[in-house]
Amino acid sequence: MQISLFTVLILMVLTAVGFLVGRRRAYAVSSGHASRLHSLPSYYGYYIALWTGVPAFILLAIYGMFGNDAVNALAGAQMHRAGEPVHAQFEQALSDDEDIARLEAELATLENRRIYAREAIERDSELVPAAGEYPAQSPAERQQALSSEINRLAAEREARAEVLAGQVEAQTDDALARAGFVYSRLSDERRELMINDARAIAFGEGVASRETPEINALASAMRPFHEVLRSSMALAALALAIGGLAYARSRISSSFRARNRVEGAISVLLLLASVIAIATTIGIVLSLLFESVRFFSAINWRIDEFLLGTQWSPQIAIREGQVGQTGAFGAVPLFAGTALITVIAMLVAVPVGLFAAIYLSEYASTGVRGWAKPVLEILAGIPTVVYGFFALLTVGPLLRDALLLLGYENAVTQSALAAGLVMGVMIIPFVSSLADDVINAVPQSLRDGAYAMGATKSETVRQVIFPAALPGIVGAVLLAVSRAVGETMIVVMAAGQGANLTANPLESVTTITVQIVMLLTGDQEFDSPKTLSAFALGLVLFVLTLILNVIALRVVQRYREKYD
Amino acid sequence: MTDRAPSSDIRKAIETRLARRHRAERRFQFYGMAAIALAVLFLVVLLSSIIVQALPAFTQHTLTLPVRVEAELADPQDDRSEESLRAGSYSRMLQVALQDQFPSVTGRSELRALFGLYSSVNSAKLLNQVVENPDIIGETIEFSMPISDDADLYLKGLTTDERFVDRNEPLTLSGAEGEVTLTASDPVFSAFIEEVNDTLRARIQTVSDRAATAQARADRAETEDARQAAAAGAERARREADQLEERLQAREALSLSPEMASLLVRLGGGVVQITQLEPGGRVARGEVVIAPERDGVYQDWTEWRIETPAAGRRIGDVQIVFARALDDRGLVENGLNLILFTNADSREPELAGVRGALIGSVLTMIITMLMAVPIGVGTAIYLEEFAPRNRLSEIIEVNINNLAAVPSIVFGLLGLAVFINTFGMPRSAPLVGGFVLALMTLPTVIISSRAALKAVPPSIREAALGVGASRMQAVFGHVLPMAMPGILTGSIIGLAQALGETAPLLMIGMVAFIADPPTMGVAGFTEPATVMPVQIFLWSSGAERAFEAKTAAAILILLALMVLFNAAAIYLRSRFERRW
Repeated sequence: MQISLFTVLILMVLTAVGFLVGRRRAYAVSSGHASRLHSLPSYYGYYIALWTGVPAFILLAIYGMFGNDAVNALAGAQMHRAGEPVHAQFEQALSDDEDIARLEAELATLENRRIYAREAIERDSELVPAAGEYPAQSPAERQQALSSEINRLAAEREARAEVLAGQVEAQTDDALARAGFVYSRLSDERRELMINDARAIAFGEGVASRETPEINALASAMRPFHEVLRSSMALAALALAIGGLAYARSRISSSFRARNRVEGAISVLLLLASVIAIATTIGIVLSLLFESVRFFSAINWRIDEFLLGTQWSPQIAIREGQVGQTGAFGAVPLFAGTALITVIAMLVAVPVGLFAAIYLSEYASTGVRGWAKPVLEILAGIPTVVYGFFALLTVGPLLRDALLLLGYENAVTQSALAAGLVMGVMIIPFVSSLADDVINAVPQSLRDGAYAMGATKSETVRQVIFPAALPGIVGAVLLAVSRAVGETMIVVMAAGQGANLTANPLESVTTITVQIVMLLTGDQEFDSPKTLSAFALGLVLFVLTLILNVIALRVVQRYREKYD
Repeated sequence: MTDRAPSSDIRKAIETRLARRHRAERRFQFYGMAAIALAVLFLVVLLSSIIVQALPAFTQHTLTLPVRVEAELADPQDDRSEESLRAGSYSRMLQVALQDQFPSVTGRSELRALFGLYSSVNSAKLLNQVVENPDIIGETIEFSMPISDDADLYLKGLTTDERFVDRNEPLTLSGAEGEVTLTASDPVFSAFIEEVNDTLRARIQTVSDRAATAQARADRAETEDARQAAAAGAERARREADQLEERLQAREALSLSPEMASLLVRLGGGVVQITQLEPGGRVARGEVVIAPERDGVYQDWTEWRIETPAAGRRIGDVQIVFARALDDRGLVENGLNLILFTNADSREPELAGVRGALIGSVLTMIITMLMAVPIGVGTAIYLEEFAPRNRLSEIIEVNINNLAAVPSIVFGLLGLAVFINTFGMPRSAPLVGGFVLALMTLPTVIISSRAALKAVPPSIREAALGVGASRMQAVFGHVLPMAMPGILTGSIIGLAQALGETAPLLMIGMVAFIADPPTMGVAGFTEPATVMPVQIFLWSSGAERAFEAKTAAAILILLALMVLFNAAAIYLRSRFERRW
């Protein structure tokens, strides 16, 4: 905790004091006649309390958000300054070293040759062989040979530089200077790790992955900055609070419109609250888009491969180190698996849910409705992880045993059928309550008209109510489909993980949501295409459900207007 | 009049049609009832299967041993300092205590089976006892610990079928330790041999069936490759069947293998594990597990058949013998499983509990509540009471409707990308989990709060405005208090949903294995934690069989919590709700 609880407590007390001061002041300026005031006395109290608390807490919030970065930057700058001479020494050593000079020269010639070879490929003609060294090779082969040679030499130069760096480090006594030097030679991720380790040592934030004298030096460089920043922030917050209190108090007079000010502040707060909903949507869209763009650029913008490819094996792309290995990120098996499970779920949920809704709204006595509706509500309230457990340990094995008994030999526990069935059960209450709403919205006059013609109840339902409610029911089914597509836990637990492209419900399939979970749980590095592909899948999922919802809401709304 | 059909014909036609229509009506009604019945059936099956699975997890067998706290083991430096005490060898102490129960057991594999009856983590508990109270060094204390999950399930009779048959035919034991021979004048073991042979015959039947199916497939096969593969399978199965048949026909000694039922003999306070049976059922060879008091002739003995083959259970014959013996000596007690509530997660099923997940859930819910309820109610008040009819309000409204239908896992992706990667908040922390769940619950809270505000009649507002209140005063002083029950009900239902939500929390790393519960306090919000539904998910993929019951038990606890939440909502609704 960088904001000390103590500061927060003092601020809270000050705010309360501000309220009391304001009220007392209001009484004082009205010389005891509260009716002379513009607003009720407590509004003056709220006014002062707002001025006391809000600016100070905003300052603390800003500090809470950026305080760590500021400390890191300050300590980093100090470390950088300390490390500069060492770095200069290292540069000097590099330029003095003969090995390095030799390697650099060799690299430069090879690089030139490679450029020639590439030009030769581009011109598709035999260029004059480079000093007759590789006469029997084609330009492409030559380019490859040159590349590996260049890599080897570069590695050699790296190794030599490493040795020199070690020598320079050994000559430096100041740990912070060493830290600055080490830091300047690290890659971005390693730098972040070093900073995090130093923070862990300095402030006990988590556990440091390693502890070296350099990191300890950085940690002790961080501490004073942290202390100074922290105490100065606490002081500034207190000063702001007291200043705000004094300023607000000075403004109070009997004609001061305190209520309007306070109400204005409250309505700003309310507006801010409602903007959070928009901010959430924007956050979802931006984060999904941003990460998806990174993913697509990692696979060379082969969006068509992603959407239409039939091979899904993100793990392989990782192991080979082949960024954007085309074909490994073909998401069609996931779409097919999602569709298969959704269809099974709908085959269960739509008939059962619809008939349940029709029975409850048209036939059932109050008594039956009294217990049947809560039963459906309970089904709706059971967490999905419980359904997943049920599918995994009860329905899956049951189906497998039944299939084995029927002579189907390849039966598995984790099958599309088990997951789909249980998901269907989960969606029954959703369908039935939506359908119940639309059926109840059909005007009674239509029913009465049908009965007057001598229709039976079922004929009324089938030929009058159902057609009238059809758009609403279609909307309900679409919403249910979007639910099924986005459902995660049941499929994660019961549908399996293999990306099979199959229409056989008895095999195990995988879905978009399962893959998102698989890709983002467990060890991960955030920048690999494997991890980023989860966001692309999330984007697909988001867009898909959004389209379904928009259509469904449109359909339902248009239909509602017809009878309202 | 003459060209009309006779009225009786029309009547008849109508009557048949009517009967048909009534049948259709009844059928239709039946479908409706069947749908309801199906839903009820699902619920009943779901709940009862979980309850049945959960029951074993609520009790646990505890092993209580007299443990002598030897000074040289507990205090290697002999100065009673904490450092010295912590360096003591407490697992050795437990081993000695258990070995004392079975002085005759010396074999390496037998000892391993014996020490497998408890998990070594328990020695830490003994260590703590000694550190807390060094006076017990040199004394003998009663030390209780949960018995291992496999032994626990065995003693509950869940994993193993067994049968004890008291016999009184005389049986001669050749020795009291090591490999022994049991001889009887009557064919006392022939029943068991027959049983084993029966299973063997059944196996032969299955294997020959499999051979026949494979052969049929080979005959039907369309490609040469498939035909060869099927034919090879058929050949393999036939060979296996022949081998089994040979073994059945051979009149030689029957060696008991792990695929068969096990036979043990209890006599004179000891147990002999039978390894080989001579044909005729009069002579058996075996190994002494617990030494009987003497060799020679026993008149009364017990035949102990373990019907579940050793290959089909996780606990071996020897361990079963020890567990049963400890149980018979009254050292093992079956009691209420308090560990389930007092411990956090553990790799050992017998030591795993839900306390960590419960605390994590509470912390997460606190954040969710503090975020979702004020923001949600604020939004509802703004949209319902103050929002001007303009584009912004419209966008907010459409937004909320769409947010309500966004899959929960997408909120997890948002949390991962924004809260963790951009803002650098800690992974696996209740703080981030609470934020994500709050954003997810927000639409529910907003929609129900708006409904509650809408239900307050305009006359209340008008009356307040009429006596000179400002709009703000009318809303906060009059409308909001009246809408409060509805708002609270909606909020509680939203929170109950959040309590059962799993998927978004997987995204932000709350799936980590966490052995220490987070602290109940401000610091706990940023410590790694897990929550109940995620704990259920984690346990459901646990390899040990005992985790299955634990999972079901955790589900029951979670469901109980949700029932509590919903009961509170229903109570609020019925107690305070007004109809206008």
